[in-house]
Amino acid sequence: MNARHVGIIAKKEFMGLSSEKTIVFAILLQVFIAMFSSFLMVGLTAMYDPEAIEGYSTVTYGIGYTGAESALIDEFAKRDDLVLHRMDLPAALAALKDRQIAAVVHVPDTPPDAEGPVTVTLYLIQNDLQSSVINVKLKEVFQSYEKELREVRADRMVAFPVGLNFPESGGGENFFEFVYGLLIPLLVLLPAIVSAALIIDLITEEYQRQTLETLISTPITYTEMIWGKIATCGVLVPVQAGAWLLLLGFNGIAVENPAAILLHISAGGLFLILLATLVALHYRERTSAQFVFSTALVVVFLFVMAVPYNPLNLMVRLAVDTAGPTHWLILVLVAGAAALLGWITTAYARRIGEAAPQAR
Amino acid sequence: MSLASSIRTIAVWEMNRSMTTMGRNVLPLAAGLLILLVLVTAFAAQSGVHMQDGIYRIGIDDSDVARVVAPDSRFTIYLDNGPALLENRAAYDVIILQGEVYAADTDKGRAALKALERDYAAYVSYVAAGEPDLFAGYPLWIDQEYVKSEIDFLATQSGQQVGAPADAREPPAPSSPVEAATPPSSATPVSEDELREHLREAGSDHPLNRYTGILSAGSATDGLRTPAELSPPLPYDALILVFVFIFPLYFTSQFFMMSVMNERVGRAGEALLSTPIRPSAIIIGKALPYLGIMLLISAAITLFVGAPLTILLPLIPVILFFLANALIIGMAARSFKELSFVSIFFSTLATSYLFFPTVFANTHVISIISPLTLVVLDIQGEGFTAMEYIYSTALFFATSAILFYVGTINFREERLFSEKPLTSRFADFISGGIARDHPHISLFLLAAFTIPFVFMAQMMTLVLFFNIPMPLSLVLLTVSAAFIEEFAKSIGIYAVARERPGFLTPKNLILGAIAIGLGFLAGEKLLLFATLAQITESIFGSVLFLSLQVLWMPLLLHIAGVLITGGFLLFWGRRAYVPGLVAASVVHSLYNLYFLTGGLL
Repeated sequence: MNARHVGIIAKKEFMGLSSEKTIVFAILLQVFIAMFSSFLMVGLTAMYDPEAIEGYSTVTYGIGYTGAESALIDEFAKRDDLVLHRMDLPAALAALKDRQIAAVVHVPDTPPDAEGPVTVTLYLIQNDLQSSVINVKLKEVFQSYEKELREVRADRMVAFPVGLNFPESGGGENFFEFVYGLLIPLLVLLPAIVSAALIIDLITEEYQRQTLETLISTPITYTEMIWGKIATCGVLVPVQAGAWLLLLGFNGIAVENPAAILLHISAGGLFLILLATLVALHYRERTSAQFVFSTALVVVFLFVMAVPYNPLNLMVRLAVDTAGPTHWLILVLVAGAAALLGWITTAYARRIGEAAPQAR
Repeated sequence: MSLASSIRTIAVWEMNRSMTTMGRNVLPLAAGLLILLVLVTAFAAQSGVHMQDGIYRIGIDDSDVARVVAPDSRFTIYLDNGPALLENRAAYDVIILQGEVYAADTDKGRAALKALERDYAAYVSYVAAGEPDLFAGYPLWIDQEYVKSEIDFLATQSGQQVGAPADAREPPAPSSPVEAATPPSSATPVSEDELREHLREAGSDHPLNRYTGILSAGSATDGLRTPAELSPPLPYDALILVFVFIFPLYFTSQFFMMSVMNERVGRAGEALLSTPIRPSAIIIGKALPYLGIMLLISAAITLFVGAPLTILLPLIPVILFFLANALIIGMAARSFKELSFVSIFFSTLATSYLFFPTVFANTHVISIISPLTLVVLDIQGEGFTAMEYIYSTALFFATSAILFYVGTINFREERLFSEKPLTSRFADFISGGIARDHPHISLFLLAAFTIPFVFMAQMMTLVLFFNIPMPLSLVLLTVSAAFIEEFAKSIGIYAVARERPGFLTPKNLILGAIAIGLGFLAGEKLLLFATLAQITESIFGSVLFLSLQVLWMPLLLHIAGVLITGGFLLFWGRRAYVPGLVAASVVHSLYNLYFLTGGLL
C-alpha cells in the first residue's frame, strides 16, 4: 500500500465533502442542538431524573387541605414554599381545576397509631409540568410524615436500619449525572456513527455510479482507495468530537482528560467505520448496506453497554476524572480489535481488487 | 392506460424490485442480526447498563454502611479508618464517618450526595418491607388522583403564569362552578397481601419501567403508593411516542428516499420516464407501497401497546409529510452523502417540530400544533374533536400536498439527471412551477403555497421563544417572523430572476410584487381562519399574524417587502439577494414593532 495514494484519495473525498457543503449540514445540526442546549437540559434531565426539575421553581404553591386534622399540617408548616389552605373538598377541587391551587390533599380520620394504614388522597393536575414539581415537593413532606408515623408505630417493628445522618443538601437542580453520565458520551459517540454511515455512502456510491473503473484505471489500487476513504471518515471523528467538547466548554461544562477521550472515540470510531466498510464492500448497494449496518449498530451498542468497563463508561470516568490506568488497557484492546478488522478489510479489499475487473 | 391502473403497475413493480434486491441478500443477515439482538438484549437485561459505573468515589469507615452503598455501581467504595479518610477527603466526593455524611462542596459532591440519599431511602424501604406488621413499616399510603385542567392560551398574556397560581397566600375562590365531590373513604380499598406483593415488585423496579409503564395500564394496587414511590408523573409522554412511533416511520421513509434516488443514479429511471405513464402516477405508485408499510407498522405498534386504533388518524399526515420530504430530498440530493446529511438534518427538524410543543407548553392550545399531542390525548382515553384534528394536522396535509405537487411537476429528465448544488436545485424546482406564459399568476399561487411552510417555521419559533421572558421573546419573535415571511416571499422573484434574467424589469417587478403580496395575503387569511383562530387572538399571534387587523396595510407591507428584495436584485444582481433580504426584514420588523407598541400603549 502506498501512503501517498491513500492520501490522494482521502484528499479527493475531503474536497467532495467541502464542495458539496454537506459538512455544513453536520455543523448546522451541531449548532442547532447546541442552541437549544438549555432546552435539552431542562427537557432531557426531567426525562432522565424527574426530581431534578424541582430546582426550577422558586415560587410558592398553594395546597388545598381537606379532611381530618393530622400531624401533616405541621409538616406543611415547616415548608415556606408550600402554603396550606383549609377547604372543603368540592371547593378545593374546583380551585385546582382553575389552577388557583397546585394540589389538593385529603386526609382521612385514621388515628396515627391505628392498626391499618393512613391513606392520604392526593389530587393533581393531569399531564402537567407543574404537577411534576409539586409532586417532588409533596414527596418530601409525605416522607417526613411517614417517618413520624413510623416512630409512633415503632414498637410494632422488629428490624432497624443502619442510621445515617445527611447534611442539609440544599436541594436544587443538579445536572451533573445527566451531563457527564449521559450527554457527553452520547455527543462524543455521535460523530463516530455519522462517520460510519458516511463511509457506506462513499463506497456504495462508487459502485452505483460506476465511477470505480475510472478510479482503478489510475495507479491507485483498490485497497488504497478503500483506505483513503477510511482515512477521511476516521479523521472526521476526533475533529467533530473535539468540536463537541469545545462547545460544551463554552456552555460552562468542563471535561477532564479531553485528549484521552478523543483517543478512545478515535479507536472506537475506527472500529465502527471498519465494520461499516465491510458491510458496504459486501453489499455494494446503499439501501441494503445502511439497513444492515444500522441493525448491527444497535446490536454492538447494546452489547457494549452491558459490559463493565466499556469504552463509553470509560469516557464518562475520564470526563469526571475517576478513571484509573485501566482505561489504557481497554484502549489497547479496542485499538487491537480495530486493527484486526482493518486487517480483514485489507484482505477482503485485496481479494476484490485482484478479481476480474467486471467483478468489481 | 388509466391513472389508477398505471399507479397499480408502478406500485407492483416497485414492490417486486425492492423485495428481490433486498430479499435475497439482506434477509438472511437481517434474521441473523435479529437473533443476535435478542441474545444481546437478554445479556444486557441480566448484566445491566454499565454507563455510569464508578463516577463517584466514596470513603467509608464502617463495613456495615459500605454494604448499604455497595449495590450502586456508580460508587467506588474505599474502606479506611476515620483519620485517614479525613486527611484524604479531597480525593473523595462523599465520606461517611460514624454515620455522619459529608459531601464535597462541588457539583459532583452534591450529585453524589443526592445519589447516596436515594440509595439510603431505598435501603430503609427495603428493611421496612421485611416487617411482619406491614403497616408499621409502611404506615402511610398515597392515593393519587388526577384532575383535568385546560388553560387558555390567552392566560399567559394576562399575567397569569402557567407554572404557578397567581398568589398562593390568598385563600383561593374558585371562579368555575363548584361540583359536588364525594370524599374518598378512609378505608384502604386494597388488601394487605396485594400491597405486600406490590412492594415486592417495586423492589425489583427497573428504571426503564417508568417509561414502559406509561403505555400500559396501572397495576392492581389502584394507584396506591408509599411516599418513597411517589415519582413525579412524566410530563413528556411525547418523547417516548417519538421513539415508539416516529422513528420506525422515519426509518421506512428512508427506503422511499433511496428508491427515488436510485432512479437518478446512472440515469436508471430514464426508461421509466420514457413510458407514457404520467409522473404523478409514477410518484404515487412508488410511494404507495411505503405508505402501506408505514401504516402497517403503525397499526402493529398500536395493537402491541394496546392503544386505540384511532391514533392512526393523526399519524397519517405525519406519514405523508415524511414521504413528501423523502421524495424532495431524494430528488434533490447530488450524492449519497448529501442524501444522508440532508435527511439527518431534516429528521432532526421534523422531530423537534413534533416534539417541542408537547414539552414546552403545558398550555393545551399550543401543544396541539403537533399531531403527536392528539396521539397522547387518545392514549389517555380523552380523544380529540374533529376541530382539533383539523387544527393540528392541516399544516401537515397542506405541506405534504404541496411538496408532492412540486415533486410531480419536476419529475422530468432535465431536473432528475442534472448535477447541481442543493440550493440551485431547489431554485430549479421552484422555477419549474412558474409558468412562462402567466408568470404573475404563478407568483400569486406560489406565494399562497408558501404559507403553510411559513406557518410551520413560525410555529417552531413561537414554541421556541415562548418560554423566554416577555419583552425579549416578542422582539425575537417579531424579527424571526419578519425574516421568515420575507424569505418566503422572495423565493419566487429570486427563482424567476435566476431562470430568466431578462424578465426582471421595473414594470414586471412591481406587477410581480403585487401578485406575490396578494397571494401571500390570500393564503394567510385562508389558512388562519381555518385553523389558528385561538392563537391569533393572543399577543403572540398578533406578532406572527399582524396582518389580520387591517387589510390594505399588510398588503402594502407585503408588496413593499418584495419590492425591496426585488429592487436589490434588479439593481445589483443576484449577489445582492442576501442584503436585500435583510433590508426587507428590517423594514418588516420595524413595521411590526411599531404596530405592536402602538397596540400595547
